[in-house]
Amino acid sequence: MIRPSLAGIHPRPRGRETTLLALAAAALLTGWVSLATTQAGRLSAGDPHLLVIYLVAAAVIHVLFVVTGRRTDQVLFPAVVLLGGISLLFMARLPPSLVTQDAGPAGILTLAPLQLVWLVLSLSTIGGLAILVRNDTWLRNYKYSWAAAGVTLLVLVFLFGDEVNGVRLTLRVGPLAGQPSELLKIILVVFLAGYLAENRALLAATSLRVGPLDLPPLAYLLPMLAMWGIALAVVVVQRDLGAALLFFAVFLGLLYVATQRTSFVALGLLLAAVGSVFLYAVEPTVQVRVAIWLDPFAQALGSGFQIVRGLYAFGRGGLLGTGLGAGLPSPDGTLAVPALATDYVFAGVAEELGAAGAIALIGLYLVIAERGLRIAARGADDFRALLAAGLTLVLVLQAALIMAGDLKLVPLTGVTLPFVAYGGSSLLGSGICVGLLMALSDAGVEAPAPPQALTRGERLRARGRGVAGRFERAVR
Amino acid sequence: MSAFEILVWILRLAFLGLLYLFLAVLARGLLRDLRATTARTTRAPGMLVVMAAPPGVPAVGATMPLETITTLGRDADNVIVVDDQFASTHHARLTFRGRVWYLEDLGSTNGTRLNGRPVEGAVAVGFGDEIAVGETRFRLEPASA
Repeated sequence: MIRPSLAGIHPRPRGRETTLLALAAAALLTGWVSLATTQAGRLSAGDPHLLVIYLVAAAVIHVLFVVTGRRTDQVLFPAVVLLGGISLLFMARLPPSLVTQDAGPAGILTLAPLQLVWLVLSLSTIGGLAILVRNDTWLRNYKYSWAAAGVTLLVLVFLFGDEVNGVRLTLRVGPLAGQPSELLKIILVVFLAGYLAENRALLAATSLRVGPLDLPPLAYLLPMLAMWGIALAVVVVQRDLGAALLFFAVFLGLLYVATQRTSFVALGLLLAAVGSVFLYAVEPTVQVRVAIWLDPFAQALGSGFQIVRGLYAFGRGGLLGTGLGAGLPSPDGTLAVPALATDYVFAGVAEELGAAGAIALIGLYLVIAERGLRIAARGADDFRALLAAGLTLVLVLQAALIMAGDLKLVPLTGVTLPFVAYGGSSLLGSGICVGLLMALSDAGVEAPAPPQALTRGERLRARGRGVAGRFERAVR
Repeated sequence: MSAFEILVWILRLAFLGLLYLFLAVLARGLLRDLRATTARTTRAPGMLVVMAAPPGVPAVGATMPLETITTLGRDADNVIVVDDQFASTHHARLTFRGRVWYLEDLGSTNGTRLNGRPVEGAVAVGFGDEIAVGETRFRLEPASA
């Protein structure tokens, strides 16, 4: 096993990443000039210090990647930098008073500077994880502890969460407010990857026949039912349709990746269908969501207002868009589309950059999907492969759900568009996903765990020491 | 159309154009990776590089492609014949299971060592690890070259 040491660090050029970052910077600077020129009415670069700070931060992290010389993926980081840059351009274009936060000595920060702070923190998270994480035992061996932490987080939100817009998502600790469901997604993936990697062979091979159905054995069906229950609980208690849908979709996706059994997916979809009908019957929120999805124009000035305005925004954009800064103005601070910075950021980008820009955005998410699944396919063992696949699914399904929701292809759910929508929790959560993916892409840093020649006692001892280790052994 | 409108159009198209240039450069790289992967999977997923061999055969620095099950030993029926007086007839076996190489000792007289430690049962071998059979030492490398 090769132990990394400071002396063992050799700089390694990352040519492809340098090229892509330079291209991204050129595109973003052009976009900034386009925005400032449209707003000023003459050729102008405006006040580019926000974008410059952002690009310098990206460059610094790139240099750190080169200096530390790890052989991590070179495509993910530039793609994320471009997504974040488009977000920064768009936030700089929206009325700054949309969000304000007192940042103490730094004065009162408005929308674009706040987003810049979170974007830089998100990029730093990616950099930190991609450089420092060389070992996955802290994730692998403590999966039940992670699951317990996740459930605790969920309970805390149930008990102490603040309701914003009728959705109980936000947890407040002193001056800081965060949405734990962003973190919960990652914890869920870590747990499922650990659980499925351990039980993969059993799940894939054995089965229980009930009539025409080829079901997984009962003992392994329980986590599936538990997942289903948690997803339902999230909807009922938090009224968070998006997170529930995402949790369950990621779970089904990983189950399929681990076992390659379509019968599991069919069963999962059946459960999802039953759950949906049940929720539609008991939850008025769900009924409203479905009604305004089927016909937003029936309630065009009521509950369907947002969807109708979103569709108009897509229409105004056309093929090439109105140009950055030339979208429908927002007189006296009211936006053309409600929640333009968060849920409807895709509609906003599509209005100003047109179908061309929207498709480019989708292309960037496809790139993230390709790279993530590629890292999964090359993973050194089952746990790493499943972890990489799960992290990719979280990012990409989330993007797909909200983009399709904005376009009225599926009922609108309140998930965020990774790296583009405004919001600290989402940016940090997505940053953790990409950072871990990059760390996992560096194969051969550490030999994977020994094969299953261990006795049960040895396996339990291998789970680790301390409180978390004792907890892991107790759960087994 | 005024000069200013033309300028704004140029800037807008330039921004969109650069976005697509970024995607095009990316796509070319991804395709290249994909071709490299398909080319690589047809070969064995690893090779041994000779680090030290007392009899001078095989030569130091020589590379040996691995098969999914690669046996090492003095007998001529081994995949890799180790002509070393301290090696047994059937000395050790390297197997590629799933995604990982594993090393087993086949009950040899002098034992097999992984990074200097004796091998008991099947142990995972990472790229860069050193395998010693008798006085002959190999290093496991990915079959990229």
